[in-house]
Amino acid sequence: MAQIKLFGYSDKISVKPGDVIQFYVNADGTERAEAQLVRLIHGDQHPAGPGFLEEEIDCSVNGAWEVEKQYTQIGSFLEVPDREGRLALNGSLTLFAFIHPLWPQVGLRQCLLGRWDNDKNCGFGLGIKQNGLLEFWVGQGDEVDYLEAEVPLQAQMWYFVAATFDAKTGRATLYQEGVTNRYNSVLGKVAPLDLRSHVAETFRFRPKHLPDTPFLMAGSRDWHAKRGNFVSQLYCGKLDRPGLFNRALRREELGRIRNGDTPPSEGMVAYWDTTHGYTDQGIGDVVTDIGPFQLHAKGYNRPVRAQTGWNWNGRNDCFRLAPQEYGGVEFHSDALIDCNWKPTKALKLPEDLRSGAYAMRLRAGPGTGLGEEYIPFFVRPKVPTGRIAFLVPTASYLAYANEHLSFDAPIVQGMTGMTPILTDIDVEMYKNPEFGHGCYDSWADGQGVCYSSYHRPVVNMRPKYRISSMDITWQYPADLSVIAWLEHQKYDYDVLTDEDLDLEGVAALKPYRCVISGTHPEYYSERMMDATEDYIEGGGRYIYLGANGYYCNVAIREDEPWVLECRKFGDTWKAWEARPGEHYMATTGQKGGPWKCLGRPPQKIMGVGFVSEGFGRSEPFYRMPDSYDPSLSWITEGIEGEIIGDFGLAYGGAAGVELDRYDLSLGTPPNAKVIASSGGHTDNYLTHVQVQLHQHPGITGSYDYRVRADMTYFPAPNDGAVFSCSSIAFGQALPANGFDNNVSRLLANVVNAFVRPEPLPEAGREAVPGAEPVAS
Amino acid sequence: MTELSSIQRTWRNPLFVWDGSQEAEKLPTPTFVSHQEIWEATRASRAKLLPVGRLRYYHKWAGHGQNLWRRSRYFPTRRRVLRIRGEYNKKSLRREKTIIDKRPIWWVMGLVALALVPLLTPASLENTLLTAGVTFGIYAAINLCWMLVIGTASIFSLATYAIVGTAAFVTAYSSTMFGLPWWLLPPLGALVGVIFGGIIALPATRLDGFYYALLTLGLNELCRVYFVTSREFGSATGGLYGAATYIPQDWSSSGQLQLAYYACFAVMLLALLLYRFVNGRRLGRILRMAPEKREAFAEATGVNFRQARVRVFLISSVGLGFIGGFYSANYGGVAFSIFSFDTVLLGLAMLVIGGIGRSEGAVLGTLIVVFFDKVLITLGPARLIIIGLIMLFVVLYLRNGLFGIKQQFRSWRDKKKSERRSTRAEKGGEMLPEEATEARNVDDLYRRRYDKMQREFLKTLVKPEVIEEHRRAPQGQHSEALERLLIYFRNQPQPDKYAITALQSINGFRIVALSGHRGVAPRVVEDKIYRSPAEAYHGVFLRRVQDLLES
Repeated sequence: MAQIKLFGYSDKISVKPGDVIQFYVNADGTERAEAQLVRLIHGDQHPAGPGFLEEEIDCSVNGAWEVEKQYTQIGSFLEVPDREGRLALNGSLTLFAFIHPLWPQVGLRQCLLGRWDNDKNCGFGLGIKQNGLLEFWVGQGDEVDYLEAEVPLQAQMWYFVAATFDAKTGRATLYQEGVTNRYNSVLGKVAPLDLRSHVAETFRFRPKHLPDTPFLMAGSRDWHAKRGNFVSQLYCGKLDRPGLFNRALRREELGRIRNGDTPPSEGMVAYWDTTHGYTDQGIGDVVTDIGPFQLHAKGYNRPVRAQTGWNWNGRNDCFRLAPQEYGGVEFHSDALIDCNWKPTKALKLPEDLRSGAYAMRLRAGPGTGLGEEYIPFFVRPKVPTGRIAFLVPTASYLAYANEHLSFDAPIVQGMTGMTPILTDIDVEMYKNPEFGHGCYDSWADGQGVCYSSYHRPVVNMRPKYRISSMDITWQYPADLSVIAWLEHQKYDYDVLTDEDLDLEGVAALKPYRCVISGTHPEYYSERMMDATEDYIEGGGRYIYLGANGYYCNVAIREDEPWVLECRKFGDTWKAWEARPGEHYMATTGQKGGPWKCLGRPPQKIMGVGFVSEGFGRSEPFYRMPDSYDPSLSWITEGIEGEIIGDFGLAYGGAAGVELDRYDLSLGTPPNAKVIASSGGHTDNYLTHVQVQLHQHPGITGSYDYRVRADMTYFPAPNDGAVFSCSSIAFGQALPANGFDNNVSRLLANVVNAFVRPEPLPEAGREAVPGAEPVAS
Repeated sequence: MTELSSIQRTWRNPLFVWDGSQEAEKLPTPTFVSHQEIWEATRASRAKLLPVGRLRYYHKWAGHGQNLWRRSRYFPTRRRVLRIRGEYNKKSLRREKTIIDKRPIWWVMGLVALALVPLLTPASLENTLLTAGVTFGIYAAINLCWMLVIGTASIFSLATYAIVGTAAFVTAYSSTMFGLPWWLLPPLGALVGVIFGGIIALPATRLDGFYYALLTLGLNELCRVYFVTSREFGSATGGLYGAATYIPQDWSSSGQLQLAYYACFAVMLLALLLYRFVNGRRLGRILRMAPEKREAFAEATGVNFRQARVRVFLISSVGLGFIGGFYSANYGGVAFSIFSFDTVLLGLAMLVIGGIGRSEGAVLGTLIVVFFDKVLITLGPARLIIIGLIMLFVVLYLRNGLFGIKQQFRSWRDKKKSERRSTRAEKGGEMLPEEATEARNVDDLYRRRYDKMQREFLKTLVKPEVIEEHRRAPQGQHSEALERLLIYFRNQPQPDKYAITALQSINGFRIVALSGHRGVAPRVVEDKIYRSPAEAYHGVFLRRVQDLLES
């Protein structure tokens, strides 16, 4: 019997009672799965904590579900809807495009553009052979005629390629010329590489077309008995301004297009101007055809737009400055945005469902390991009632979704100082490209992944999951420790997600007296940053219960909130680096990268910002003099001694994993107080590149005083306040010793004070001597 | 002095002041060794550094660049006249074109030379050479058909000459008795061939290799005995003569010879065409899927190799029968010697010398054997000994006949190359100049040199104190010696790098090695089950130390 495996996802991640949520499930080795709605309370199975806790909830769809094997189309491509079959040319034709192949010698065929059926061998196509040669082919079903170029295409070089076919004489030609300049390709002018190739040959027949073959770019139609139609021969690389003519263009005409002239109108069937449609607010998935029939192409699995084109010359660094230089559309054969599975079951959420972290639990076979699946989602109240909101950092979950660091990143063992501990699910994900990647991975062709979505099984957004490279809970399962603490303290809390914050802005936070963040809210869009800042400024009280938060700018489309865009580059630690000129996000037109580099270091909102990370060992906090200030003693009330948090589920301390620091030069409000700081971090903790201009020996835990977490507090305007814990391990220290510990006590002091409507105890009233403002 | 060294041999933990409970204050550690020592001590490579370079064996044609390259095909196929590979020279980036398959060129040159033979032959040798040429043409055609049976269909039939002979005798008999014209003899022969072939194809589906060869040899002998003893087929005259021939009797003998030469040449061309159409198209491809001893695999993948073999056998029998008919039309009859054992053996020698499984082997082998047998006739019986010696040489030293020499030479050269490299083991993981010529990225050369130095240094740090320190705390602050080892281990490339898997079923841990290849799961490296992550971390460390010491 085959091993039983269950995977699933839902269409929404943030819902309200009464909403309908759709589940999509893939099953291997079974046709039935036992479903049960659960409310998740604690997700970390570390022996020092309370273990895994869930509460089964009655609902209409609990019970046996019929499940089936589902197929996933991976790879990004463009499809041209063409009902009238205008692109099904069966006479003379010309296909052309500027291309920037990323992996021409991959050993698999790649189709650049064409109307081609792989299964029936009908149509025509221009593509790349297994050995990297450009190739043009026409098929009539039983036979295919091919014409290949003379020399293989070189990776990361810009070319103009074209194929012409003259139906009268049967003569086919290939046109391949380099269009490299000083900036746009990997090699410059001094490399003695002759990229040109012009070949001609006589074909025996004209293309024969099937009625339903789609015209595709970066892929071609294929068929499988169980799966039906799908797209194969996926292309890795960029395309720029492709076109189709119904006559064989002469070589001089092609030469003029290569030089950047607009193609002639005579015989033009389609000309997709990839630079058309850019706005100040980004660009969508439709590539405009400015030819006579307006056959616009639609992107599948979101081809990357706003990439530099063949004529990018280094002067402009953003598509908003020079859209005509940003015609590059980048494709990857393993891109995945949406699994698009057949829906398995829909659930109308009960009206009386309380707010919280929920999941549909599915079990089949042994009901453990791969035979158990949780499809998580978050339920918000219909009308906010609680005084506390726990803001789930779903944007950061997406950025880390299905990361493959333990397998693919040689640096990760050196970085964590640990040997990865892999589980079945990690290996399963590594074996199957259908799980897609997260923003910490590269696509198989080596380019960094800039899109991540939750319309696919996200195996690390599950309770019980431990991040393999670090052997701790991370993001979602770590944040459940905070939920468990809120439950244990019997607080009246609601759950919100980043998605709600991005869509609704400050209105989503406004009803709550106190907002608590997740343990690692690293990825924040501008709308989320603005909303958070406005909430605090408007009198909100915010507990930043983690570290390395509010760090990197990301973008989310309002109509497709399940996809996150993230571009990594520049002054930061990064899993990959965006190419020069490609630092602006296609989703919004904003520059990506760290907020610090955009002028908004996290210190400006939270008082602290990222300074160091390390693994394997966490340390306690030591109380700082400010905590003895009588006006702030309420924070440490009931805590004995000077050491806070010498325990925890993340490496045995409350200060660890990633650390934030108070830094006036980066915008920490000068009225901020440091309640406690950690110390004694190992040399696995390095000082972040952002806080120093140069790397030099002596920037690790046992050398550099800056490697520490600063627990800070500052009052904000209108009776607002911010309390920052500055450590990812802080949240995982809460459940230690049955929630009876000084970290839990300290956080409870802060929450209790924050939810009270009256001004905070003496906050800021007792000014430090000498800091009295001069009377005007 | 001893006191000093014992101080040096203690590592003091810089973090002890922060957290006495988690950290050790001081631990024994090996004496300090500078990592620069090994660099300073290394003044020359231990392996001798030889001058390197590669011979250019093949002519490389320049690329077309911006000029149009017009390519032509064999009408009406999509096959190009020459298979050419265009590429960039890996070292110089120069554009190069290589003719991958030069056989069409050799064929054209060889066939043109054969066509010109009668025109260039001096009169004194004309008789000998052209007579030999006639024999060559017919035997080459027979051998091409035979090669289809042995090479393509992998049926070890020795009944080839039985088919040819029977067809020749039947046609000669029909011609003498019923006065059939010469041009009917080859088609009639083909008919005889298909009947004969059909009969002996049946056991081919049941019998394998050696047994089938024996059977067909017996059949050949049976035919010989039958024809020799039957009066109708001329037991008295040593053969059957008087059949119709296409050679006009009123021509000069030189003209007759030339006509016969070209006619036999044409038959050989027809046989070549047949070979090409069977071996190079669907049937041949199917059978290449099912070479001898791997039939079961082919069958499992859905290849009906039995049917394909019988088909090839029948097609070649038709060809052989046709040649038999032509044989009588050429010589005006046929002698019993066609069934004799030495004919079969000579034919086999032709195939073996040229190389089984290729048309050029059949033709060249025939040429060599016929040359010795018919042209050097003055040598007397010694020429058969020479043929035997050539055959012996080919069988003993060549794996696949004369045409296998190139491939054999290449693999021999590669074997020698790797042998020579493996004797230079003292290189310690560094790339020697002769290997470096094949490296794509020169950066790798330095990485391996650096790695070698690093490993030699790190080996001096492996001491019991270090291993004990790691066992105590796999994570946390470590002494310099241990930290250096760990940093080296952790920063290795992904392929075969150790990791740990958590076994859910028994709540234990096991050491695996990563593949470094997307989509390929890690492999298990040992059966040992560790009870806790800390034990597994230490297990990985011990394996890494062992790998380091063994490298």
